[in-house]
Amino acid sequence: MKMRGFEYHRAATLDDALATLSEFGDDAKVLAGGQSLVPMMAMRLSSPAHLVDTGKLTTHDTITETDGMIAIGMRVTHAALEQSALIATAVPLAHAAAPHIGHRAIRNRGTVCGSIAHADPAAELPAVAVSLNAQLVVRSTRGERIVNAADFFHGYLTTALEPDELLTEVRFPKRGAIAGASVHEVSRRNGDFALVGVAVHLEFAKPSTKKGAAVIANAGIGLFGLGGIPIAAVEAQSLLVGNPTSDDLFAAAADAVMRNIDPMPDNHATAQYRRHVAGVLTRRALADATNQALAAS
Amino acid sequence: MRETIVGPFAGKFVGHAVRRVEDPRLLTGEGRYVDDVQLSGMLHAAFVRSPHAHAHIRNIEVAAARRSPGVVDIITGAEMETLVHPFIGMLALKGLYDPRFYALSSKRVRHVGDPVAIVIAESRAQAEDAIELVEVSYETIEAVANASDALDSRKPPLWDNRSNVLFDFANTYGEVDAAFAGADRVISHQFKEQRVSNQPMETRGIVVEIDPKSSAITVHAATQSAHMLKWVLALLSDRASIPASIKTLAINRDRVTRFAKSAKAILTAKPELKEPSPMMPAMVKQFRAEPSRFVDLQRAMLGLLAKSDNDRPEVLARDIGGAFGTKGSASREDLAVYAAARKLGRSVKWIEDRNEHLMGGGHSRDEIVDISMAVRNDGTLLGMKVSLTLDQGAYPAFPFGGSMFSQIIRVMFPGPYRVPVMQFNGKVVATNKGTLVAYRGPWAVETFVRERMFDMVARELGITAAEVRLRNIVTMAELPTPMITGPMLDVRMSAHRTLVDAIAIADYDNWPAAQLAARANGKILGLGIATFCEAAPGPPDFFEHSIPGSGALAGIEPAKIVLEADGMVAVITQQVPHGQGHETTLAQVAADQLGIPIEAIRVRYGDTKITPFAMMGTGGSRSAAMAGGVVTFAARELKERIVDIAADLMEASREDIVIEAGNVHVAGVPARGITLADIAVEARRRDQNAAPGEAIRVAQEFDGGEGGWTQATHACWVEVDLETGQVAIPRYVVVEDCGEIINPAIVDGQIRGGIAQGIGQVLYEKITYDDAGQFQTGTFMDYLIPTACEIPDIEIHHIETPSEIEANYRGVGEGGMVVAPAALTNAIENALAHLGVRISEPYLPPSKILELAGVIQTARSTAR
Amino acid sequence: MNSTNSRIAVAITVNGTAHELQVPARQTLAECVREELGLTGTHLGCEHGVCGACTVLVDGQAARSCLVLTVQADGATIETVESLANDDTLHAVQQAMVDNHGFQCAFCAPGFLMTIKALIDNQAVLTKATLREELSGNLCRCTGYASILAGAEAVLGLTGESNA
Repeated sequence: MKMRGFEYHRAATLDDALATLSEFGDDAKVLAGGQSLVPMMAMRLSSPAHLVDTGKLTTHDTITETDGMIAIGMRVTHAALEQSALIATAVPLAHAAAPHIGHRAIRNRGTVCGSIAHADPAAELPAVAVSLNAQLVVRSTRGERIVNAADFFHGYLTTALEPDELLTEVRFPKRGAIAGASVHEVSRRNGDFALVGVAVHLEFAKPSTKKGAAVIANAGIGLFGLGGIPIAAVEAQSLLVGNPTSDDLFAAAADAVMRNIDPMPDNHATAQYRRHVAGVLTRRALADATNQALAAS
Repeated sequence: MRETIVGPFAGKFVGHAVRRVEDPRLLTGEGRYVDDVQLSGMLHAAFVRSPHAHAHIRNIEVAAARRSPGVVDIITGAEMETLVHPFIGMLALKGLYDPRFYALSSKRVRHVGDPVAIVIAESRAQAEDAIELVEVSYETIEAVANASDALDSRKPPLWDNRSNVLFDFANTYGEVDAAFAGADRVISHQFKEQRVSNQPMETRGIVVEIDPKSSAITVHAATQSAHMLKWVLALLSDRASIPASIKTLAINRDRVTRFAKSAKAILTAKPELKEPSPMMPAMVKQFRAEPSRFVDLQRAMLGLLAKSDNDRPEVLARDIGGAFGTKGSASREDLAVYAAARKLGRSVKWIEDRNEHLMGGGHSRDEIVDISMAVRNDGTLLGMKVSLTLDQGAYPAFPFGGSMFSQIIRVMFPGPYRVPVMQFNGKVVATNKGTLVAYRGPWAVETFVRERMFDMVARELGITAAEVRLRNIVTMAELPTPMITGPMLDVRMSAHRTLVDAIAIADYDNWPAAQLAARANGKILGLGIATFCEAAPGPPDFFEHSIPGSGALAGIEPAKIVLEADGMVAVITQQVPHGQGHETTLAQVAADQLGIPIEAIRVRYGDTKITPFAMMGTGGSRSAAMAGGVVTFAARELKERIVDIAADLMEASREDIVIEAGNVHVAGVPARGITLADIAVEARRRDQNAAPGEAIRVAQEFDGGEGGWTQATHACWVEVDLETGQVAIPRYVVVEDCGEIINPAIVDGQIRGGIAQGIGQVLYEKITYDDAGQFQTGTFMDYLIPTACEIPDIEIHHIETPSEIEANYRGVGEGGMVVAPAALTNAIENALAHLGVRISEPYLPPSKILELAGVIQTARSTAR
Repeated sequence: MNSTNSRIAVAITVNGTAHELQVPARQTLAECVREELGLTGTHLGCEHGVCGACTVLVDGQAARSCLVLTVQADGATIETVESLANDDTLHAVQQAMVDNHGFQCAFCAPGFLMTIKALIDNQAVLTKATLREELSGNLCRCTGYASILAGAEAVLGLTGESNA
């Protein structure tokens, strides 16, 4: 299990990296943390002729807040995401997702932007990005553009990134005042990719003085492991918004999730299983996110 | 149940969790596993493997690959056939056709991963680069993808235009039809075990070292039996024609003389070998039917006879990263690498990668069993009919594979129960899958099926799972009594006691109420029990009941114990430990006999130059009894020899000499004692012929004496999430009896490790081929080994049945893995019983749980 | 693939010793320590980042050395299992594993030892349950994990509390 040879390019600066990508285009791959790419190369499932290592671009390892958005630089690892106090308070869904990503040793090396650019449909962060409709900052020698997460994922391991483009930053919206987040997933073993996963972010309207169920102001549901791309559960989201929480509402949202997905079977789970459990986990995650939001408010 | 851990200990070592002698080496990175062997000028091998399940090879084009950087040679299947002999099955059993095959395939491939060429290059990476440039033209053949395909005569045969049923046998014990006619009920069910795989953390590997000056060959290998590997490689390598071998022998008469001498020595030592083997009639029949088989065998044997010492390898097995049975075979790859190194005259390393190991490094289980139990309404078992179909894949493991396992399954099927009559029919079939090897209780299907079936019988009859077992299990008062299949259950066979104790520990009688109460609170709980006994090593004639004629070679355990010149004691064993801690346990046994500290003992193993000859190596839960026994008796003899010398030196009577903590002295006056080093000096003075570095050498063999059984009952609790199909194991209890325990921490580690593999088999692990024979589980993301989060705490309760037998040690290597799948599956069925669920196969991933419970519809599986 | 043989300069510090190496781009850090530096204590179990046997510390953090290219480790400080013991004195994690019969074949041991060492060095706050999660990236096929967990609990001071 030895990878093919390749030309190695250690980028000294971002411009350097972009220039190399521009030169080699389709023949080049970006080496970020390498935790997904290297095993694929070891199995010779991916054999890029050129590898552009962004490891030295250490100035891009910050998590910052600007204009109500939390910006995560391309060198931020999963471990840094998991440990960030800013993420814990401002993007609770990303914080909740982080411990589910692989194992500690993977999180120490793998990067947030790398995972989103790799676009594994069973991975957590692409679903988080979809759930929160993150902004993805994409650079090339041709300039910079911002792609909404809703438009970023095109198919299995394929994205809106052009061959010469690099995902340099992901921007998550900062949570509202009354918000809750929950990630539920079923995997075969601890740390495996999800068979089924649901990333839920709920925001609530300011509580009215009279008692009663809280009203959902904003809902994001990202599904993973359920198709070729991370899926935003659009119908379920719209069912939720403007309504007070209830078991019936969550059941309706779960039904909407199950109706709108077309999961694939594999050796680990059948399509029927995935559809059923998507509904179960949607209910559980909605209830968790609600409890969390209301307990904290 | 935390074990007591003791440190350096001056008294008795056996029975204490003595710290492992191996650990300081292994935990500092000083271990030497086969991949750690790095030789200057060493080349690296990789294999061109079939992407097809079943195909004719029409052409192989290697010219481009030969030009790839670093490539030294590429040997295709056709060339390999000029270098080596075919593997020839060693079992001669009525109804068995054992195919012959070469290290590499030249005309036809029979499973995904079947090797068709070996590439030798300066580095493994370069060898893999070249593999991509080898162009093989295949013409695919319809695949025989599973056992039902193999039984379908319209499917193409894998071997020599014969049926894909390679072995067909039937044994009848007693008046079966009468028993069934007289039964209140006959209850039948079909069970399957999916194909799984041992998957030790270290894959297979071999480094063939060729001394550039002397051309002597040292084979560094991860093998469970160093001598087996040595002689298989010697037998099958350096293919020569019969006339050429005879010519060599004519020139080198000494080789014939030497052979005759050693053969005579063996026959003198083991007169039973002079008796005509019970295998002879079947063997003669095999040769009559296929004369070329006889020619191939004679050619290999003559070739072996004609080889000089330098043409035979010595095998060196040092640290080994686990095996669980899969390194007990000599593989096709081993022979191919050996042949390549011999051809090139250069050292060659092959370390199997994980993908190769998953494809072809050894699979196991994969049986279908139809069983009928004739019972009385009170649960009394009157008889069983069992029909086994074992899918051994394409190439039988060598020297022993599925055909041998089928015979142990037959013998072990009654387990520790009264089975008055039994019909056993068996088929071993060939399919386009990887090789079936031994895996931690290769006969384990008997326990799974029998213990599952008892639960089903109990449900049918409206009695409890405990009741049906208690009614049929052999009690201590009935012992000794033979199993219906032959082997004697001796007076220490305490399975009944383990069952009774487990029932009490589990508070089994109150379980139904507890289960109902939990269900009322929305918790779905289950409790399963399973009981077994295993031959560890079994009675002395155990092998004879399985494979008549195999006992004489298989049943003997040799050891040497040497007082070395420096006063240290060397225990030299044919065992090849690979995680079992023999350096510690055999030292404990010897230390107690000799009265010396463990630190004064070195256990030497794995080197065919110094270890006594035996083919068995380490496996089959035999080491504790066999090696523990022979070391006990050999150490005792050494002590006698030491005492002889000490008595002379100290001018005391033999009876007054004691050895305590290494101090040899007259009883009562330890201050005036001498050391073993002093004894060694005197011994060497007396024996001028002692080998360099040695003072006194003792060699013994042990036939296992009374032998005996290990037995256990497992109780497993589960909680099932009926929304997601996930199964949690809140509690797991083992009650077991393996006789006197040498090292409790090591025993508990063996049991827990086995149970972890059993849990893996039920909840996580499946080797998958699709209906076209395509392999689907080539990575550790597909084949799922349980992690620390998936294995529960396991409580172990030990029983030791008192006995006057010396060295009353029995093995525990396999039992955990044998019983756990039954206990866990029984627990899951118990949890889902109120939904009418019956479980036939111990592979229960979340999808399957929800399908069984009727929560989701059953999908036509994409793969099986 | 004409670049297969081109070599790249890398400066790494391994177990306190600085090395200036010229390595092939496709060489993994595991191959580097094992083959270039002869530190064979680090084991390769799967070469695709699942089993954890090859775990080493890169700048103090656990990493799978089969998933790190040597060229990526330029400038990094690497610790392997060989760095743990000080002459004849075992590191606390090694001693805890000896005391608890942590391992059997021990092929997986270097990965576990380095994973646990990182937990100690980083003063991880753990319970027995979260310890299982932290170790779930390391596969062992022999032990069923109980003895490894016992050793890890001992060295991390988790022996007192219940298994929650």
